[in-house]
Amino acid sequence: MSDYILDMRNISKSFAGVRALKDVSFRCQPGRVYAVVGENGAGKSTLMKILAGAYRADAGEIFYKGQRRDNVSAGEVIDSGISIIYQELALVKQMSVAENIFLGREPRHAFGILNLQELYERSGALLKRLGIRLDLRLPVSELTIAQQQLVEIAKALSQNADLIVMDEPSAILAGSELDQLFEIISNLVSQGVTIIYISHRLEEVFRIADVVTVLKDGELVDTRPIDQLDRPTLVELMVGRPMEEIFPRTDHHQGDLVLVAENISTDTILDGVSLEVHAGEILGIAGMVGSGRTELARALFGADPLTGGSIKLVDKRSAKWKNPAQAIESGLVLVPEDRKSHGLFTDLTVRINVTITILSRLTRFGVVQRDEESEVVDEAKQRLSIVMASADQEAQYLSGGNQQKVVLAKWLETDPDVVILDEPTRGVDVGAKFEIYKLMRQLNDRGIAIVMISSELPEIIGMSDRILVMRDGKIAGEVPVEGAREADIIQLAILGQSEALPA
Amino acid sequence: MSVAKTVESSSIADSWRIRKLVVDYGVYMALALLLTAAAFLTPKLFQVDTIAIVMRQASQLGIVAIGQTMILLVAGLDLSVGGVIVMTSVAVAEVSNGRDEMVLPAILIALGLGVIVGLGNGILVTKRRVPPFVATLGMLVLVQGATQAYTRGVPGGFVPEMLGMVNQSWGFLSIPLVLWLGLNAAFIFILRRTAYGRKVYAVGSNIEAARLSGISVDAIRISVYIFGACFAVISGVVLTGYVGYVDRFIGTGLELDSIAAAVVGGTAFVGGRGGLLGTIAGVLIIQILSTMAVLMGLDVEVQFIIKGLVILGAVTLYSVARVES
Repeated sequence: MSDYILDMRNISKSFAGVRALKDVSFRCQPGRVYAVVGENGAGKSTLMKILAGAYRADAGEIFYKGQRRDNVSAGEVIDSGISIIYQELALVKQMSVAENIFLGREPRHAFGILNLQELYERSGALLKRLGIRLDLRLPVSELTIAQQQLVEIAKALSQNADLIVMDEPSAILAGSELDQLFEIISNLVSQGVTIIYISHRLEEVFRIADVVTVLKDGELVDTRPIDQLDRPTLVELMVGRPMEEIFPRTDHHQGDLVLVAENISTDTILDGVSLEVHAGEILGIAGMVGSGRTELARALFGADPLTGGSIKLVDKRSAKWKNPAQAIESGLVLVPEDRKSHGLFTDLTVRINVTITILSRLTRFGVVQRDEESEVVDEAKQRLSIVMASADQEAQYLSGGNQQKVVLAKWLETDPDVVILDEPTRGVDVGAKFEIYKLMRQLNDRGIAIVMISSELPEIIGMSDRILVMRDGKIAGEVPVEGAREADIIQLAILGQSEALPA
Repeated sequence: MSVAKTVESSSIADSWRIRKLVVDYGVYMALALLLTAAAFLTPKLFQVDTIAIVMRQASQLGIVAIGQTMILLVAGLDLSVGGVIVMTSVAVAEVSNGRDEMVLPAILIALGLGVIVGLGNGILVTKRRVPPFVATLGMLVLVQGATQAYTRGVPGGFVPEMLGMVNQSWGFLSIPLVLWLGLNAAFIFILRRTAYGRKVYAVGSNIEAARLSGISVDAIRISVYIFGACFAVISGVVLTGYVGYVDRFIGTGLELDSIAAAVVGGTAFVGGRGGLLGTIAGVLIIQILSTMAVLMGLDVEVQFIIKGLVILGAVTLYSVARVES
């Protein structure tokens, strides 16, 4: 018996004749954290779905705990001690924490009557093992997303998992939540559990992984221990492009004042926020999830009504907007945080998605002019290098990066003066990220002002011309870009003060 | 890298094309199959006068189904159409009281009432956030109640003779059929090629994205409920002319049949997907099935069972074709 708990050898998988994985080998020793990284479409999910029993490999062998196992069902995989936590959490919101942990496997008395005492005892023990405190009787709907994820982890443990796969767990977490997750991971690892961690975020990989596997276009690029890697090398392995080029720098000319918000407050959380945005600059807004960043974006765009303060565009004194339609008219756009639920029409074609904001320009007597429309779509496709089979393809069949480009294209068509980007590169692979950054710089060059909200501090520091940090619905302070450190931003975001700027 | 990427994207393209084919044209394949079966089981279906009857009935259902499809496209639902049809019948008879010259004013008044009902549905659903099922069910009861109260249970007035022209046929052509096809042509164009149509799909596909894209979401949603009620009025006029007297039970069941026709035709309950081309086929399938059942001498109960099976089968097929990814 080898000392590897999992040994996947020479796995290949094709879909309808197209290679998704080619000769990929991947193995894990117990009690370590393995990061699997790569761009979208690199084959990470396919590899994990083969492990989960959701797909069957065309070639290759899988050994788990020394035993060869091919063609097992998803249920058998779980029974054998492998748990996969997907990004879309599989919890029943109306049921309690304890009920969710043992969903479908509840401890029972005779005749199938639930043994509630044992249910609470065992789930309590699990949470204790994880070192977290949660009310077992609280419905999951009352928990934060981060807490829900912890419930998923407890559920995995309740299935006696020896190997836990986490599919981009950090995509929905930030700050202290992430710290808690990492603490739990190291806790589990010390108990001998193996973790496979799939992520786009390199900072995390360096924080927790012992071994990193890089996939690209379905092939294994390299597997290396973390101490033999640094960030630039890892990025280069993933994209085949050196790190310095990730954040394109331009000579920054701060233009005239464009937008001024004074003391704005909303029903949501905003409490007297003031800010100024200049033409051709990127104003970065950092802060923890829940600090009011998204609410600020929505308020600026007129999506949530103001309860106090004012927002105005400097050269259009009369411009007032109370809803998104008027904001667009005035020259503002918002590219929302949650692409699938707020930005994209997934069921509709790329054509309709791109032109929905400029219908009045493309219509005569309400009738859409097909030729002009096709021109607009072709031009957007060229400009943003959107990869698609046809303009009549439904947006849902595009990759995450291309979906984000479609959303961007939709907004840029309105020829805005101010673009508000809420998490512009979330769930987007490194290659597409680079293209989005380049595009942002191009917009700056055209004099467009950008307000960028982001949880990724390297992005905030790498792209912003000025950095504001939010906390509790207020601006906690400004961090000078020159020599900005992530620690400065975090300190402001958490404590509301920094050494540099005493409160 | 580029080779692998292009291959991958083309295979994705193939799979969406195939699925799109099933979702878009599957209902026409089903219709062709049904007609083939009819050729063996009920050859009488293909006689000119049978076709004329099928088409006339399909038109009555089909006109309502245009509005119902539009409402489903914005993830709504309209259960009040049956009530609107009875209301139309009563209004036309009361206002005209049999006088041909009053047909047009009577229809206009009925349309006005329809607009009020549709507006009511739309406002309840958008401004008051009542779920469409509840709002339009309530509206159905309200309209039925108001109609009953107005007539005190005994409908008065007479249907003008002029409306009887809906019963004339030229071969299998008839006024209801021409009306149905014409309205379909107009609204297929509107939904596909106008800004309004795009907005209807956008609202149904993702209401929050639509709002953030600057679309007046509530106005679009209210407008489809108004269209829905107006189509019910038009169908009500046709039905009233067809029956020739005021019937309290006229149009009963059209709300559910119109939803069924749209759903069989591929319009999704969640909104944003489907369209009128599918609904036309859905209407024809439902109508031909009923006619075949009659021609074969099947009991009414058996007809319902067949209809139910067809609806369930269609919905199952669509969800399989769509979920697969």
